[in-house]
Amino acid sequence: MKKFWRCHVCNDIHYGVKAPEICPTCLKENAYVEIASGEAQRIMSVAQITIDKPAFVQAIKAFAAKCEFQVNPDQERVELLLEGMFNNEANHGLKYCPCRLIEKDFSKDIELICPCNFLVHETYQDKADGECWCGLFIKKEIT
Amino acid sequence: MKKLVMFHGRECPHCRKMMPLVDKMIAEEGIEIEKLEVWHDEKNADTMRSYREVITPKCGGQLRVPTFLNTETNDVECGELEYEKLIGWANR
Repeated sequence: MKKFWRCHVCNDIHYGVKAPEICPTCLKENAYVEIASGEAQRIMSVAQITIDKPAFVQAIKAFAAKCEFQVNPDQERVELLLEGMFNNEANHGLKYCPCRLIEKDFSKDIELICPCNFLVHETYQDKADGECWCGLFIKKEIT
Repeated sequence: MKKLVMFHGRECPHCRKMMPLVDKMIAEEGIEIEKLEVWHDEKNADTMRSYREVITPKCGGQLRVPTFLNTETNDVECGELEYEKLIGWANR
């Protein structure tokens, strides 16, 4: 079961089954202590961070940079998908994939937040030209 | 609601690609199909959710769009289809 963990040195927050051995922010070893979700939310509320479309594109390109996939070079397609995701965030609270519908069951719906775990999609797995269901991410060509 | 339904999303590229083919099928084949947008119309979204048990086994376990549903036979296709396959579904 996932829990919240707080670095006692720099207040870095981690949500996971176990604490990181080294804090990625301050590099202190064995620095995490388990905390309540309310405490974690209070600490995270200090930072008011927003992500607009250019920042999101930059984020997903950085995410894909060292992976076997890339952001689709088809700009028109990416723009349409971004419009859908940001409309979904405005209307439904999170950047849900515009090519699938939420079921109103949050434990399932969080699997539709972009980027999702598209590595398991049948449109991506075992295909040289695989892509996520919506086509935002495509496999890099092997040269 | 008509017998044949297309569930689609306004900002879904697959849906945008399929829409001209659906319109062509309506114009050339005289097939009646109802188009229900699901991300900006909650009533349509709830209609799609009400067919969850029918749709998800054939669409990767999810409510993907576009989904083509025959509400009488529960015959389902999802994703981008060749025109002939779309007509085949509509006439089954």
